[in-house]
Amino acid sequence: MGLLAFCILISGGLFFWRFGPILRTILRSKEDADFSLHPLGRRVWEFFWEVLCQAKVIEQRPAPGIAHAFVFWGFLAFALVSLNHFAAGLRLGFLPPESLVGRFYFDFAAVWAVLVAVSIASLFIRRFFVRPIWLGKKISYESGFISFLIFLLMVTYLGAFFATDGSVTVKALWWTHTLALLIFLPLIPHTKHLHLVLSPLTVFLKRDEFSKIPPLAGDEDFGLVSGKDVTQLIALQTYSCVECGRCTEHCPAATTGKVLNPKEIILGMRSYLNEFGADSDAPLLKEDAPTSHLSMEAAFQCTTCGSCEFQCPVGIQHLPIIVGLRRGATNTGQWEDTYGTKLFLALEKNGNALGLSAVERDKFIAKQGFPIFDGTQEYCLWLGCMGGYDPKGREIIADFARVMDFLGTTFGVLKKEKCTGDPARRLGNDLVFQTLAEHGLKALETAKVQKIVAICPHCVRTISNDWREYGIAPEIEHHSEFMARHKDRLPKQFEGGEIVYHDPCYLGRYRDVYEQPREIVALAGELVEAPRNHERSFCCGAGGGLAFLGEESGERVSHVRAKELADTGAQTVGTACPFCNTMFRDALSAVSEAPPQLYDIAQLTARALPPTKI
Amino acid sequence: MKIIVAIKQVPERDAQIQIAANGKWIDEDDLTYAINEPDAYALEEALQFKEKNGGEVIVLCAGPERVTSTLRDALAKGADRAIHIEADDLAQRDTLGVAELLAVAVKAESPDLILTGLQSDDLGLGQTGVVLAELLGIPHATIIMQVEKTDTGLRVKRELEDGWFQHVDMPLPALLTIQSGGNKLRYATLMGIKKAKSKETNTIAAADSSEAAALKLARVYLPEKQKKTVMLTGTPEQIAAQLVEKLKFEVRVI
Repeated sequence: MGLLAFCILISGGLFFWRFGPILRTILRSKEDADFSLHPLGRRVWEFFWEVLCQAKVIEQRPAPGIAHAFVFWGFLAFALVSLNHFAAGLRLGFLPPESLVGRFYFDFAAVWAVLVAVSIASLFIRRFFVRPIWLGKKISYESGFISFLIFLLMVTYLGAFFATDGSVTVKALWWTHTLALLIFLPLIPHTKHLHLVLSPLTVFLKRDEFSKIPPLAGDEDFGLVSGKDVTQLIALQTYSCVECGRCTEHCPAATTGKVLNPKEIILGMRSYLNEFGADSDAPLLKEDAPTSHLSMEAAFQCTTCGSCEFQCPVGIQHLPIIVGLRRGATNTGQWEDTYGTKLFLALEKNGNALGLSAVERDKFIAKQGFPIFDGTQEYCLWLGCMGGYDPKGREIIADFARVMDFLGTTFGVLKKEKCTGDPARRLGNDLVFQTLAEHGLKALETAKVQKIVAICPHCVRTISNDWREYGIAPEIEHHSEFMARHKDRLPKQFEGGEIVYHDPCYLGRYRDVYEQPREIVALAGELVEAPRNHERSFCCGAGGGLAFLGEESGERVSHVRAKELADTGAQTVGTACPFCNTMFRDALSAVSEAPPQLYDIAQLTARALPPTKI
Repeated sequence: MKIIVAIKQVPERDAQIQIAANGKWIDEDDLTYAINEPDAYALEEALQFKEKNGGEVIVLCAGPERVTSTLRDALAKGADRAIHIEADDLAQRDTLGVAELLAVAVKAESPDLILTGLQSDDLGLGQTGVVLAELLGIPHATIIMQVEKTDTGLRVKRELEDGWFQHVDMPLPALLTIQSGGNKLRYATLMGIKKAKSKETNTIAAADSSEAAALKLARVYLPEKQKKTVMLTGTPEQIAAQLVEKLKFEVRVI
């Protein structure tokens, strides 16, 4: 008994020896200024669904997901058994094996022991023999050892059922089981198995909005510049990473040969915290550090498509970190990039991302005969940079205006409209973003706009969510939502052929709008799905301001996606974002001899409309 | 090294210019203003020079209250302090008058180097810098693309015509007028704007002109567009000959 107590003390001591500093780092990090537990109900639901039910773990990687879920549920079932195991060893047992409850529970746990043993063995085979590349090139021996320990725990537990009471075998099994548990405990904080302790909390506490960029707090906050800027949530999330690599598997940058690897961003942040602790002055980003994934180059390769954050089973929110690093570099002027500077100067001077004179927009409005919004119309049609200045974007806007006319919906456009600031926001330029957001809010308020509709998911997201930092914008919706609501009155085309629909990141993952554009596509032809669709859709490469940053390294993201779309054999590609559209315009002809046609959903609808009366 | 950058605020590039009712100037209501583009390059040159060689960059601007926004932007980009010469009557002063205003402020600072854009986007006279150098009695060089510090002073790269450049060694103090495009401009940052709040802007009242402006503005008008179509007649040979002559001597493109 004395020996057992001693072993428990050593094991617990070793656990806290490592876990203590981690906990201290998390607690001593900066508080999240905008954090609020509300809405609590949603948090409880997500905890139930994602942690207890393991829904995300299973949904996004079914086979290993189920295996993991069995191990997890088995652990929950075993919690009582293990507690009783030690308590009994100290003569404090509370679950007598001979009692009815005890007999039932031990048998119940035995069923789980079998499931856990089989699951952990299959996970072991996956990790060491199948070896999916997402788990990293390096073999993790610690993972192997921990699998072995879990397997051993189950086997020893089950073995005891077949041994005679009081025999040497029972004693040996008992001690093996005990030692396995006591070795397992201190290994938790030393390995990615720390997620056992932290991730339930991480899932419960994660920010309440997808890809949420927190407001800067005070005059000294420029984003993530040094350890001083790392918040408690970021620290908690980085320590929760289980290194499963789902983020990397779906990352458009990591899978096309760029430096950026979202998993390594999180692990890079973790090593920073391990090395410097909380509250350090050491810079987070390194200008040229090939070994460090917290490099300027990596941070600026992100398209902010959000697939990493969406996929993460332990509640890590990558985008506030990546955009935070960009803010730290841009707001302080450390990021020097010819294209980036050109974009910022264009936004400063011309108020649009394309750097064209505002007069060009006036001319386009006059040519189309768009009415200026004067308060009598129902909708303000937000043109956006693409709709106002880009030739293809203008076609989309013109066609959508025809659809609105056909439906008899009145609309007007703002006399002066500047960029929403989306590219500046995602590239971390808070000065330009604030100026543009404030300008936009004021313009909409002055014009007394009540409802906005836009063709660009980036505009929709930025106006509805990001502008909140500076004021409340009128209600805004994407044209897919608008058209889907009126779909019964829109013409159906019977010979539209096969149309493959591409989910824009900012409409799908960011806004949870998947079905409305599909309903519109289905009116225009036969809807075909790309291999990666809905929440797993693969980025076009334009987001996060990257459309303006010139040539990318590695393979072009747009080419990968365009090939996927072309390979479906559909005659038409349907898009719902002018940026996706512009990316695919070149990419489709580059990857296909006979490229499919490319239309926005507004154009698909407009082509079935009766010719406009003049 | 103390560097003064003399900048001017001008209507934004794509502003819709209208002529004021009296026909003597443009209507300034509803216009948005920005830094004169070559001046932005002069400021960039000064900032880069300071980053390499150390020193202080002071921005100097004459004009009404509204020019303080341009001065603040310059401070945000990295200038150390600003001098605002309050003058509401710039349009009535000729180049000499404006240069005199600037000269008073510059003399009080006795800088080592004065930079200014080679010309303004609105009037485009290209004289203010040169006249200012004359008033200060210091050497100047114009249309400068690059400035380097040497042991004895400066080595500057001047743009000549037809892709030719001239390198000139000159002593300090000196005045240079800077050409657009020599450097890459930097973007304004949040940190810069916040720092600018604590930087000093010295406001001085404009002195009255010593003498009446030698140049008087008679009328301001928008370019009068006219389309003139001339039909060439004759045999194809004659038409071709006439066309060649017009292209050679009227349009001067061949």
